[in-house]
Amino acid sequence: MEGPADDVTVRSANRKCSALTGSARKTKDNAADWHNLMIKWDKLSEEGFNMAANIANLRRTQSDQLQAGTPPPGAGAAELQHECSGLQDVIDKMAAVLTKMKRLVTSQRGVRELEEFQFGGEGRKVPLFHSWTTKQFEDSSCVLLEAFGQELRLKQAILQELAHTTTSDLCMVYLTCWLHQPFIPPQARLTLEALLLETGHRLL
Amino acid sequence: MSKLAIPSLHQALRKSFTNLESNQKVWKSVLAECSPLMVSLGNLAEQSRALSNVQISNTPLRDFPDLEDRLRFKLSHATDVVLGKLNEKMSSLQSVKDSISNQASGVLQLYEQNADSLDMAAVTERSATTPSVVDMLEWLQDAERHYRQQLLRRKYLLQMLRADDLSSLESAPHRWKSLDSPDAEDRITDTLCKVSFFMESQ
Repeated sequence: MEGPADDVTVRSANRKCSALTGSARKTKDNAADWHNLMIKWDKLSEEGFNMAANIANLRRTQSDQLQAGTPPPGAGAAELQHECSGLQDVIDKMAAVLTKMKRLVTSQRGVRELEEFQFGGEGRKVPLFHSWTTKQFEDSSCVLLEAFGQELRLKQAILQELAHTTTSDLCMVYLTCWLHQPFIPPQARLTLEALLLETGHRLL
Repeated sequence: MSKLAIPSLHQALRKSFTNLESNQKVWKSVLAECSPLMVSLGNLAEQSRALSNVQISNTPLRDFPDLEDRLRFKLSHATDVVLGKLNEKMSSLQSVKDSISNQASGVLQLYEQNADSLDMAAVTERSATTPSVVDMLEWLQDAERHYRQQLLRRKYLLQMLRADDLSSLESAPHRWKSLDSPDAEDRITDTLCKVSFFMESQ
């Protein structure tokens, strides 16, 4: 995601400072986890982009050599293999991040269900923090999860195809997709900010 | 009368050249910051071009809902961000140019106010360390004109860019570079060398 993200770091150390308990504690911690996971995702995406660019370049060199009639040396293939498995590692790590995001959604759903049990179908009468209902926290988490889930699928597809693509335009489109993360809209960043603002990680 | 006007003109010229010297540095550094932004602009245009050349429905990406629209949105968003940053740089260049213009016109005005009382010999007189007043006025005007033209040309180039006009974006980095005018910059550096003793005097 674009934009400065690290101006406020949400560390587990600050968690102990406030005396929140129960649903509020859980929700605030989840918001901090969203923040950290999204930063982790961006770092992985950046790391992966360099590898993806290398793969595209190696592939292009290979096909150029084929066209020029010189037999492609084996070294290129080994390097290509190396970059591909590197990118696979990055995607595996992103999948792990997504699994953690899924757990956050489950946890947030649990909070909502618990409150419905405690306070009835309408949920709690007084908001946990400023104004959001427990349901809104769950909805925001779902929106974020949906975006990252789709993005991971896209990245997996890119990994599958990139090393087998010879047309340079399509290669470029794959790299563009990787870089710009089309399924994570700018609103995702706003959703996170709203989450941080509501839970008090960011000051009003 | 002319005896009084020359020292005050000298003082004003000295101040203007000092100002020009520091502004030249700022101008160069701001311009250097623009280069990577122009490269980004060209890259984004290249990415948009590739996207236009590819029929997504014929590729393995066809399974992704409205991928092309989403990608186009992201690309134009990124282009907007880069253009916004370039506009900020242009405001910095504008204030550099304004400062140079103000100095140059101020000195010229001071000269014109005293022109009647200054005789030709006084304004053309020069020594080994001090160039003549008319020469220095001319150099200052030349420098001012250079920055004014540079600013207008670069501003015009940026204003003509549209996020949906790929070919203009693609050619922008090249056209931006072709506006560089190292000769004129060198002349200003030369001028500053010529007046360096004068600036240090007093």
